[in-house]
Amino acid sequence: MTDLILKADGLKKHFQVGGGFMAETKTVRAVDGVSIEVRRGETFAIVGESGCGKSTLARLLMRLLEPTEGAIEFDGRDIAGIRGRDLRELRRDMQFVFQDPFSSLNPRMSVGKLVGEPIETHRPELSRTQRRQEVARLLRTVGLRPEHADRYPHEFSGGQRQRIGIARALASNPRLVIGDEPVSALDVSVQAQVVNLLHDLKSKLDMTLVIIAHDLAVIRHMSDRVAVMYLGQVVESGPTDEIFAAPRHPYTLALLSAIPEPVHGRERTRIALSGETPSPASPPSGCRFHTRCPFAREDCATRVPELRVAANETRVACHYWEEIAATRPKAGLTPAAARSEGAQRRFALYEAATLRQTDRPETASNAGATT
Amino acid sequence: MNQPLLEVENLRFRFRGQEQDVVQDVSFRLGRNETLCIVGESGCGKSVTALALMGLLPQDSVQFGAGRIRFDGETFAPGDHDRIAKMRGDRMAMIFQEPMTSLNPAFRIGDQIAEAVERHRNCGHAAARARALEMLGKVGIPAPEQRFDAYPHQLSGGMRQRVMIAMALANDPELLIADEPTTALDVTVQAQILELIAELQAETGMGTIMITHDLGVVAEIATNVAVMYAGQVVEYGSARSIFENPQHPYTIGLMASVPSLTGPRRRLSTVPGVVPAIGQMPEGCRFSSRCPFAAPVCAARPDLAEQDPGHRVACHFAPLEQTLERSA
Ligand SMILES: Nc1ncnc2c1ncn2[C@@H]1O[C@H](COP(=O)(O)OP(=O)(O)OP(=O)(O)O)[C@@H](O)[C@H]1O
Ligand SMILES: Nc1ncnc2c1ncn2[C@@H]1O[C@H](COP(=O)(O)OP(=O)(O)O)[C@@H](O)[C@H]1O
Ligand code: SF4
Ligand code: SF4
Ligand SMILES: [Mg+2]
Ligand SMILES: [Mg+2]
Repeated sequence: MTDLILKADGLKKHFQVGGGFMAETKTVRAVDGVSIEVRRGETFAIVGESGCGKSTLARLLMRLLEPTEGAIEFDGRDIAGIRGRDLRELRRDMQFVFQDPFSSLNPRMSVGKLVGEPIETHRPELSRTQRRQEVARLLRTVGLRPEHADRYPHEFSGGQRQRIGIARALASNPRLVIGDEPVSALDVSVQAQVVNLLHDLKSKLDMTLVIIAHDLAVIRHMSDRVAVMYLGQVVESGPTDEIFAAPRHPYTLALLSAIPEPVHGRERTRIALSGETPSPASPPSGCRFHTRCPFAREDCATRVPELRVAANETRVACHYWEEIAATRPKAGLTPAAARSEGAQRRFALYEAATLRQTDRPETASNAGATT
Repeated sequence: MNQPLLEVENLRFRFRGQEQDVVQDVSFRLGRNETLCIVGESGCGKSVTALALMGLLPQDSVQFGAGRIRFDGETFAPGDHDRIAKMRGDRMAMIFQEPMTSLNPAFRIGDQIAEAVERHRNCGHAAARARALEMLGKVGIPAPEQRFDAYPHQLSGGMRQRVMIAMALANDPELLIADEPTTALDVTVQAQILELIAELQAETGMGTIMITHDLGVVAEIATNVAVMYAGQVVEYGSARSIFENPQHPYTIGLMASVPSLTGPRRRLSTVPGVVPAIGQMPEGCRFSSRCPFAAPVCAARPDLAEQDPGHRVACHFAPLEQTLERSA
């Protein structure tokens, strides 16, 4: 048996846009030849800037969209073209958590209904009482209280709504959960609560997680392996630690060097990118990154780089990564400077004190409850 | 000592019908060429503080308490809208997270900048136009002559942000207030915009107030930092002392919640709970409903007291390691 739970091969999604009166139709190549392999039990991350096709890829993997081209396998089964009953079964095994906790929940449904609905769909054998018990259990699992079932989404904070979304996703006992920017809309303090929750759930429920995000620090924290996307394609992929310690693709280098870090006075060499991401309706020829790549050479505009093995399971789509790496011996980030000794003791005290508080999982403060 | 560009003393206000102050006794100072970062979670009063300084809060519903603003040697009351309105767009300018807050979708971007110049300068149309072109070039818009006639929707998010900056800075303001100007942008574009603001600041010597919830951005650009929680400044100091020697439990909680890009990965600390709504803030230390160290004494409001030279902290137990380790 394979240890892969999800596999995409040459996946493409092209949207036709325009084409009204006198307008030209354009083809938006939102996802344009993506191959990824997600291993059972891991957290796999997809990272890239706005418009690079992350959400479209997630929707393809979930089969919320039908691919233009390419194959998707879930648990060794081809799911690219399935319909009807097979698709319903897939929806049970693979669930989705959305970015926006404010618009992804129906405001007219109580939390009990919101979480009960997928139970009803996917586990029709449960009686009404059993279902109510199951809702209560799920709410507790995500750090909410059973009595929250009678309330409505607007009564909850952003972090709590995200917990409701997660409870909903867990209702069908999925084996894989895909989160499209599940913590991006949250303040860091609340983001940390939800990141910890996802981590705990994953190990407790024996799930596989696919996380999409643009925040590299969140990605590094949560994932085992990562794929970096640019304009509908994967430009670099591999173990998270490897990619962060030794990024190879110029785009990954630039992305990492652009993150402002909460450390005072750090010297760093930024790899400035000129301009902005071109439109996926007219991607540049050759290497799609050549219009912004500070290392581009003449033939980058004509030759398409393949994603090829670099080292330690890392793959890179750049003709010249070896030469670039040779001139940049320290591409990765250096560890943060130490805080003052007093500050370190304060952080330790803070951590110990919040742990004491949150050890009681059903306290209001742990759940981010306002009441 | 050098006179600061801006001094805010005990700024305090609430909105009509509310039982608690939205912003309470906020004080800070800003020198020329300096950047003050105001940092805190959403709902902590960062934006309303900025809007108050710019005289942009709804006049009929805001109620100011005592407090005063001194700008370039002149003192006035925060509610003195007429006086502030004269300086707005000229000596002080503001940029927003959403560029369309300042840009009109129906007008060409070049004309909008030129109009902002004409409004405050005694110059002819041609001179205003020339200034607009110059600004578009300065903020890095490629081919400014062609872009001059573009409408906002024809530009990308990053470009619109640049146009808004061009408009804000067209009259060489002494003070720029930037409210999360890069929050909606990709990191690579954010890096470009932050660099642009820094360049323009170095050129003109303006003072900048940067509002953000991103501690990374703060570390990158701040001279001084004000950490705001629930309408109060809970910690204030130089960027260096705030990052190397943070004192307030809220500052520590925020910093500990940020996942690190380097070093071992460990479980994140959190700040439990959420910012309470106005009307539900605890009396005394407003952080007490979330603070893991809260004690009965916290029902009284702690002073923003100096811990180290220039570094102020509003917590009864600061410095924590000295007051708490013994009892822990
Ligand atoms: N239904 C659609 N019709 C036409 N174009 C689309 C459609 N959905 C997405 N696109 C386009 O495909 C590209 C990729 O979009 P996608 O939403 O996948 O990006 P993303 O990486 O998730 O971006 P973000 O970080 O902003 O969420 C974008 O240019 C987008 O405008
Ligand atoms: N015009 C207004 N009337 C009443 N309340 C307001 C108004 N503007 C903002 N508030 C409230 O003031 C508080 C602080 O808001 P804001 O300054 O926008 O926070 P931040 O910018 O730190 O996220 C919030 O509780 C917000 O709901
Ligand atoms: S192939 Fe050329 S343009 Fe593309 S990333 Fe490598 S060096 Fe840059
Ligand atoms: S005064 Fe009390 S509640 Fe406020 S931050 Fe200090 S310890 Fe916490
Ligand atoms: Mg998306
Ligand atoms: Mg704001």
